[in-house]
Amino acid sequence: MTAVIESEGLGKRYRRLWALTECTLSVPAGRVVGLVGPNGAGKTTLLSLASGMLAPTTGTIEVLGGRPGAGPGQLARVGYLAQNAPVYAELSVSDHLKLGARLNPGWDAALAADRMKHLDLDPGRKAGTLSGGQRAQLALTLAVAKRPELLLLDEPVASLDPLARREFLQDLMEAVAEQQVSVVLSSHLISDLERVCDYLIVLVGSRVRVAGPVEELLASHHLLSGPRRDPATLPAGQQVISASHTDVQTTLLVRTAGPVLDPAWTVSGVTMEDLVLAYMSQAGLGRGRRHLEAQR
Amino acid sequence: MTWLAWRQFRMQAVVAAATLAVFAVVFAATGPHLASLYAASGLSGCRGGRCQHLANNFLGQLGGTYGVLWTLAVAIILLAPAVIGLFWGAPLIARERETGTAALAWNQSITRTRWLAVKLTVGGLGAMALTEVLSVMQAWWAAPIGRALGYGGGAAGTLSQGRFSALVFASHGITPLGYAAFAFTLGVTAGALIRRTLPAMAVTLAIFAALQIVVPLWVRPHFFPARQAVVSVASLQEISLTQGGLDGSSFTLHAMNIPGQPADWLLSSGSVNAAGQLVSTTPAACTAPSTEDGPNFLPCLASHGIRETITYQPASRFWAFQWTETAIYLVLALALAGSCFRQVSRRRT
Amino acid sequence: MIEFHLDGRSGVAPYLQLIHQVRQALRLGLLAEGDQLPKVKDVAAGLAINPNTVLKAYRELEYEGLAAARPGVGTFVTGTLAGASLAAHGPLRHDLQRWLAKARRAGLDDESIEALFVSTFRAAGEEGVA
Repeated sequence: MTAVIESEGLGKRYRRLWALTECTLSVPAGRVVGLVGPNGAGKTTLLSLASGMLAPTTGTIEVLGGRPGAGPGQLARVGYLAQNAPVYAELSVSDHLKLGARLNPGWDAALAADRMKHLDLDPGRKAGTLSGGQRAQLALTLAVAKRPELLLLDEPVASLDPLARREFLQDLMEAVAEQQVSVVLSSHLISDLERVCDYLIVLVGSRVRVAGPVEELLASHHLLSGPRRDPATLPAGQQVISASHTDVQTTLLVRTAGPVLDPAWTVSGVTMEDLVLAYMSQAGLGRGRRHLEAQR
Repeated sequence: MTWLAWRQFRMQAVVAAATLAVFAVVFAATGPHLASLYAASGLSGCRGGRCQHLANNFLGQLGGTYGVLWTLAVAIILLAPAVIGLFWGAPLIARERETGTAALAWNQSITRTRWLAVKLTVGGLGAMALTEVLSVMQAWWAAPIGRALGYGGGAAGTLSQGRFSALVFASHGITPLGYAAFAFTLGVTAGALIRRTLPAMAVTLAIFAALQIVVPLWVRPHFFPARQAVVSVASLQEISLTQGGLDGSSFTLHAMNIPGQPADWLLSSGSVNAAGQLVSTTPAACTAPSTEDGPNFLPCLASHGIRETITYQPASRFWAFQWTETAIYLVLALALAGSCFRQVSRRRT
Repeated sequence: MIEFHLDGRSGVAPYLQLIHQVRQALRLGLLAEGDQLPKVKDVAAGLAINPNTVLKAYRELEYEGLAAARPGVGTFVTGTLAGASLAAHGPLRHDLQRWLAKARRAGLDDESIEALFVSTFRAAGEEGVA
């Protein structure tokens, strides 16, 4: 299967700050990819690089086999929804659809009309008066009706109320089912991603911490709890992602290819949330924790 | 893309149309009366010495209203490029960046180059058309005044400014075209670099205003080599004379127009002696109070060999100046447009 | 047509929950051979879940011989789980209702009834009751 996004050592720097470093990914097609990480981790930067809104400082990135943003053909294959779903406040809803029709040769007018009927938006209404959820739905219509092969959505539901959030994700999943479009959506809310994503990229502190199919990740990560123990004593194949200790007990989240055979451990599975939080704490607090341990 | 450019331009187009309509209505209402006054003045096809007298009569008849209308119209034409630069140009890219709609526009299936090209064309052509049409309308309405001035008429305040005067040169002919194109692309470029609408507006205004002061004062006079004429001080009609020093022993004489060449652009003038050197010392014979303060002062200077040297640009060069200045501004506009394309395609941040 | 629901907190993978609900429906006679399962698109849109999850569940059901996909039309039930036991449901349900009434008269609350049932059910399972 070809990769929708292929990057090698990708990096982006603004003045002195590296927003993204050493990002090497090979994202397969036909997936709904969740891009998770805390605010400022580099999610928007990665999506901007993939859509061609930004050019890399170092490294390379290929999207659907082409250079991002290079020419009308490439632009037609990728749909991009920026944070907070920007729309032209002075233009009406139907003006926006006309915009899509005029600027995209691949525009599917029937699909757009269908979605509009389903959304029950007044076509004459100025887009600036729409609610957050309605704006997001309008922007999604614009992105989807041009029939792209890849959709990039930057925190599309972050500022939406729970009902609007649910409706947006429902419509997105319907589009995925109908058009077989690959999706990369970023969020800092794991609960949204758990339902819809089958591929996960965890981005913390401008680096990719882990990336892979959700099924594989959940199968290869385990929660081990047992008597108090130094994580360094674990066998080589078991990589400790996060550790927490009381005076008598140790709980570790490990990544391992094979089974955990040590009878001292109670092994249980992890949820996506456990996994993401573990990688986030590994990136941020790991050093701090070990320092505290040494003091005891 | 053309549809989108026009749709976003709608509000500006409405304002432009309204301005044109106001001009049209006002000029249609007052133009015929002005024309009839001119017809009654007997200036048409006038020849000979009395024409200047008739012209003065005609201009004197016009009263305050026509002066006010003329000034207002010229003011609007002069301000139009600046307003265009601020409200059409500066927000073009800056607003899209500020509101985030650039992400919407630049992720449709057209390149940024095409997007910008269409928007620049629509805005630029609109800008040039608006200012030039306003200027032409005003010139049509004020044609009788212009003809009266050609006969040497004057003394009617603002109405008597010649074609080369700063205000008239900038609002007549084809220069408004150049200014509009330049101010518009200046605004767009400022918006592309600064990415915020209000600061971009401020910078556009500052730069455009600065140029509109600097160019007429220090650049325009040098488009072509100036001519020199030496005339008798006695023949001068409009002058600026200051006398000073102990017992009136020094004087400064500036001519305000060239005798017999009313439409020429006077750049500078100075008094010279018979040898051609600049003088400012009053000859002893002319310092007597009765001479100095009376109408014989100039003839007295003349009898001592003092003449006035005048640096000027001939009226026949008016259109050469117009084309040169317009060309300069159009070239600047093109250069700015080019830099806009580069800015927009660059994907730094 | 049956309708799916998801329990996000159960810890059971979504696709397994879907399979379980189909099997449950088959057992209870809500689904019969030849009935169409909800379209992948509709399930994905209704529950806001990845269509691949639904596809995985349907493929698993196909593998178990309970369903079959007809390209362009949909997925249809081909097997059955109810069997003869469906006939016994009526009387068994009646017995169960009487037992529940007795338990309530004896003063048991909901939790006690559930605990009693589960422990007896499990114990019986361990004994390997036929």
